[in-house]
Amino acid sequence: MKPRKLPSSALSRALSRALSTSTTTTTPLQCGSAFPSKTVTVSNFEPSLAELRHHVRSSDFVAIDLEMTGVTSAPWRESFEFDRSDVRYLKVRDSASRFAVVQFGVCPFRWDPSNQSFVAYPYNFYVFPRPELAGFGPCNDFLCQTTSMDFLAKYQFDFNACIHEGISYLSREQEREAVRSLNSTHDSDWSDISKLNDVRDIPNVNMADILFTARMKNKFSEWRDGLLQEQTQSDHIQGTQKDSKQQFQVIFFKTHPALKLDGFTSRQLKLIQLVIKKHFKDLSYINVNREASGLQQIVVYTDSADELNLLLKEVKEENHRAKEMKIQAAIGFRHVIDVLSSEQKLIVGHNCFLDMAHVYSKFIGPLPGTPEEFVASVNKCFPHIIDTKILLNTNYMLQERMKKSRKSLASAFSMFCPLIAAGSNSTGLISASLVKVNIEVDDSRSSSWNPGGKHEAGYDAFMTGCIFAQLCSDLGVDFKLHESSKQLASNEKLQNYINHLYLSWLHGDIIDLNTGDKVANTLPSYNLKKRYPNILFENIVIIWGFPTKLKANEVRECISKVFGLTSVVSVYHLDATAVFVQFSKTELVSDFLLLKEKLETSNGPILVLHPLAKLLDGGNTCAANYDTYKEICGSPLSESLFADQAKAVILKSKTKSIEYKVTSRRKEHKNASVEDNEKDAAMKFVEKIKPNTIDQIRNVESRRQASQFEIEDSCVAEANL
Amino acid sequence: MASLFQLLLLNQRRSLCTKVPTSKWKVKQVTTSNFNESLEEIKIHISSSDFIAISMEKTGSSLVTPWHRVQPFDTAETAYLKASHSAQRFQLLQFAVCPFSVTDSNNLVAHPYNFLLFPRDELKLGMPAYSFFCQTSHLTSMACQGFDFNASIYEGISYLSRAQESAAKVRLGTNSPSLGVMKSSSPPTIADSVFVERIRLRIKHWRNSCKKSGTKTSKDEEIIISLRNIVLGSELFKSRPCLTIDVCSERQVQLILEMLVDFSDDFLPLVIPSKGGTTQAVRIVLANSKEDKEFMEREVHSLEEKESKKIRGFREVIDLISASQKPVISHNCLNDCTFIHSKFIVPLPSEVDEFESSMHMIFPKVLDMIYLMKKSGTMRKVTNIRNALTFLNTHFFAPVDMEIPDQDTVNKGKIDGLDALRLSYLFMKLCSILKISPIVTRSGNRRLAPELEDFTNVFHPCSTNIQESCSEDVGLWNNNTRKINSEHLVFLWGFKFGMTAGMLKSVLRASHDIFSGEFDVRFVDKSCAIVVFWQPGLSKDFLDVMNSEEIGGGLKELVSDGLRVTCYETYRTMCRLGLWEMDLAESLERALESFVSDTEINNERKSSSEIHWCNDNVINLDDL
Repeated sequence: MKPRKLPSSALSRALSRALSTSTTTTTPLQCGSAFPSKTVTVSNFEPSLAELRHHVRSSDFVAIDLEMTGVTSAPWRESFEFDRSDVRYLKVRDSASRFAVVQFGVCPFRWDPSNQSFVAYPYNFYVFPRPELAGFGPCNDFLCQTTSMDFLAKYQFDFNACIHEGISYLSREQEREAVRSLNSTHDSDWSDISKLNDVRDIPNVNMADILFTARMKNKFSEWRDGLLQEQTQSDHIQGTQKDSKQQFQVIFFKTHPALKLDGFTSRQLKLIQLVIKKHFKDLSYINVNREASGLQQIVVYTDSADELNLLLKEVKEENHRAKEMKIQAAIGFRHVIDVLSSEQKLIVGHNCFLDMAHVYSKFIGPLPGTPEEFVASVNKCFPHIIDTKILLNTNYMLQERMKKSRKSLASAFSMFCPLIAAGSNSTGLISASLVKVNIEVDDSRSSSWNPGGKHEAGYDAFMTGCIFAQLCSDLGVDFKLHESSKQLASNEKLQNYINHLYLSWLHGDIIDLNTGDKVANTLPSYNLKKRYPNILFENIVIIWGFPTKLKANEVRECISKVFGLTSVVSVYHLDATAVFVQFSKTELVSDFLLLKEKLETSNGPILVLHPLAKLLDGGNTCAANYDTYKEICGSPLSESLFADQAKAVILKSKTKSIEYKVTSRRKEHKNASVEDNEKDAAMKFVEKIKPNTIDQIRNVESRRQASQFEIEDSCVAEANL
Repeated sequence: MASLFQLLLLNQRRSLCTKVPTSKWKVKQVTTSNFNESLEEIKIHISSSDFIAISMEKTGSSLVTPWHRVQPFDTAETAYLKASHSAQRFQLLQFAVCPFSVTDSNNLVAHPYNFLLFPRDELKLGMPAYSFFCQTSHLTSMACQGFDFNASIYEGISYLSRAQESAAKVRLGTNSPSLGVMKSSSPPTIADSVFVERIRLRIKHWRNSCKKSGTKTSKDEEIIISLRNIVLGSELFKSRPCLTIDVCSERQVQLILEMLVDFSDDFLPLVIPSKGGTTQAVRIVLANSKEDKEFMEREVHSLEEKESKKIRGFREVIDLISASQKPVISHNCLNDCTFIHSKFIVPLPSEVDEFESSMHMIFPKVLDMIYLMKKSGTMRKVTNIRNALTFLNTHFFAPVDMEIPDQDTVNKGKIDGLDALRLSYLFMKLCSILKISPIVTRSGNRRLAPELEDFTNVFHPCSTNIQESCSEDVGLWNNNTRKINSEHLVFLWGFKFGMTAGMLKSVLRASHDIFSGEFDVRFVDKSCAIVVFWQPGLSKDFLDVMNSEEIGGGLKELVSDGLRVTCYETYRTMCRLGLWEMDLAESLERALESFVSDTEINNERKSSSEIHWCNDNVINLDDL
């Protein structure tokens, strides 16, 4: 049970049952401290990364787990039966791009031939998107789902540690962007070093400024004259230095005599710049950006213009390098992801499609628009991913063992790894079939421990890895024969599962990361009870903005009165403001939309008496086909009610529809035949967008085998609990 | 690589700044565990106080991009839209309340409280907030000040707004219809009268059996009675006999209630709601006497009260402040009031006038401290309360004695939520400097000093003009703010990156004759600038020229390079549509796209279009 897998309203009943039972059994533990995992924050990030890099390199596989601040940004963004796979992906994309990752568990597992056991190295990273580089991310704001935050709090998640000391990061895209902008300013001008542009922007000069300017002019000319007369007057300068409370410090800057300026306000610095520029040809004002001391203002003496140019060039390079280093430093936690990616190890997760979407959007770049593109890009970064949830559910043998119990991570863990879950390996009665796991943290190995805090990313990753090791051994994978993870990933016994992820656990949609194709779930036991008939997306109309009191059966009644008793296959509430209506025939979709349009334009007595009047009451009722629903789901806007969201999305693309209305009205005047008019309207609403390849497969299949799985009962929909 | 990490560490350590030195002032921290007793306490303090200072900690402040903030060129309307945008996105984590009374012109007695808040979904209804935004930079700076996030999230008090409370009551079904008899709307049908007669008979039997059981007590009878009780569905409610009648419609409930009037006074009907908000059953309780019935009615009422108190949560405090009608002192009136309105009252209205009148009903007098300081000329740039206090302490001699009576009993020496206390102190100090009497006349209507009245309910910080009279003794404020109509403003973007205002101004001056007159240029953000024409009508001419065919010379060159302009109206539309992109230029472009289509937003509202142009914000080329 993860914060991100909270009940969708559709499943709430089934889920709340599951939730309530599991929450009572998993009362918060005092602390995860008893479980030996390494907690990493900014203070120990550098040594931990070096250590982790070493462990990942020598590992056979790496288990990961993420904790985030929420799953769905609005009730209507939860997962529904009526979600086509591309819509489902858009919902995942919305979730991954809005919510923040606050904890990242990484646990490399290495087979130790001498002990005939695995060694696990659990790491628990606190992550927080702190803006380290102004203007270049990681993000300005993120969303929190109240229930998820409450959930994390229940499991004693340390928000202070996360926000105070969480490791920040930059995605690859953000890093590129930062470097690009750095390079463009590098090429453009000198403004960076000697801010001449700013000098002109000094408004209303007052008396104090004039006096200060005069004093500065004196000081600088004194100093310069002193330099010119060589050492003879050096005592005098020392005197001035004391007077001005160390504001001027004589230094040598790249073998040139220089004054370091300290303790001036920005306005005073501007005035000094002006003075230098106006009165001293051989002095120049320079901003130096140094690693150790940050930004410094220096006035340098140079003998000639050539020498000055040379110096400026040098400073410019140095400033550039300092900025580059800063960008490098801001990469932070992404180094961990880069290690995982470059080592090409087998990544193990538990129901990890959303996790991978988070990893991609936080550390690689913005999520692409279609599941196919996403899958292809993920495959490039992480060529081998395996999901323990897939292993558990698609393998018949394992399915049998799991039959009775719930499929949550914790219950699978105690089921498959009873000894590890109990916290020890050292019992004499180890059955031969159980895989042994030892934990190593900071070079000290332990073979017995107390169970860790649930929903701590490090412990969850450890559990996932243990389950995977056990499942492999159950499938007959012999670790003794394997040297490196490359071989484990290409082991033929795992081939049916590798790179398969649940796109939607609710539907049982599995996506193949290698090809982007959808994989049919071949397991017969998977097709459980069905609550809804086959869903044909082209037969669906989405209606919103109707009177709030209207119930689903009343909507059905309304529409049936017009189109016949058998016309409506199902009506399903999206939230309080919207319903899906599935018609028995595709034509009915356009018929319905046309009729609605017609009723709205004719405001006579027909409207009042018409059966649909109940639905259209209030004048805010809108309807559209499934593709509009997809468009609304793909919008970056976030309103909590679907009707509001739809209104906002459509407002933004309103120009288009207004134009349409104008043209259609004009036609109305020209030829009285309504039919022509209707055809236009149909064109607008029922414009056919080519269905995605995934859905073609899906639809073909669903038509062929009508009795096959389509909708899975929501009781099993409890994901990754 | 190693050095790189040292740098990273250095950077991050630097960003994790040290905790602020603890103050000698302490504030009572209120969490879920001590909320109820603190509520009783603060009730007394609020009623005995003269002023109530408030301040809150939010999860974000919209300060990322400069133009999301309220700017001098904003009208009351756009300023409100900006404030309501952030009030809707972000959440409150702390709400500090400090009721204080003024005993003398420089002595105050304060009772500071700090309520930790978290919008926990206690009722599992997705309320008060399904989700909310956090601004990373804001959280980071809160962390720097030593904010305890765990305390708020673990133990924060939840709440529901007034609108949410009534919605929740409907959905939970605790919104019981009044127990009195409602007149039936439709004439009774045969089915109705059959139902009524059946129930009447059942109640009669039950009542008789109840009365009988009091008198006869033979063993056989007892068994029969208990058997009958089982058959009739009789049970006990608060040690009184009661009968539960299942109903299947609201109509039946009504019929039962009507029918009960025919019986004597000793029946108390209770409506039992189902989860969906409909009625599931009617429970009829047999009272011993008329007094007993009244007693029971009171009891039921207090039970309901307790239940809704739990639903309201922290909002109880807001209701208390509101009911007291005391003047409220806030740091930034517009920001704070939009938050209060949207989180505790009802969602923010779309029009600023509506908001102002609605807010006036809740808090009749809100004093804006920033505005007070700016307008009275004490300080021109007030960033935060702590800076303001240090400024006043170093520049003025105005001793103020503050008494915090409960200081010793206050728990654990926490200093979170000090700002409300600081505000009250700051207020006293300012009053003493400005020689305004903060003492509230207690006779009859509570009246503020007339000087203070000017500073209440300022929802548009730049709008009202205050006479400079009160600032004679300070003399820091030289007023070069000019009142201009928003029509004279033109937004300009698409110029070469890296230009300064001065450069842009000279480029414009060279480009067309229109710019031969007096005008100013100011940058709003790096992508967009504002041009002010001091001569009326020129802005319109400029826009016309930009759209006309005969555009020529330097201006043509600029437009070909991508220069775009638009009038203030587009900016207004943009705010109304909620197009809050990172760059103002991007938002304006998008507003222009949807501008043509939206007629409802286009209605002119001349009254509020005056804004104040402050010359020191303008970088004037002539000064250089």
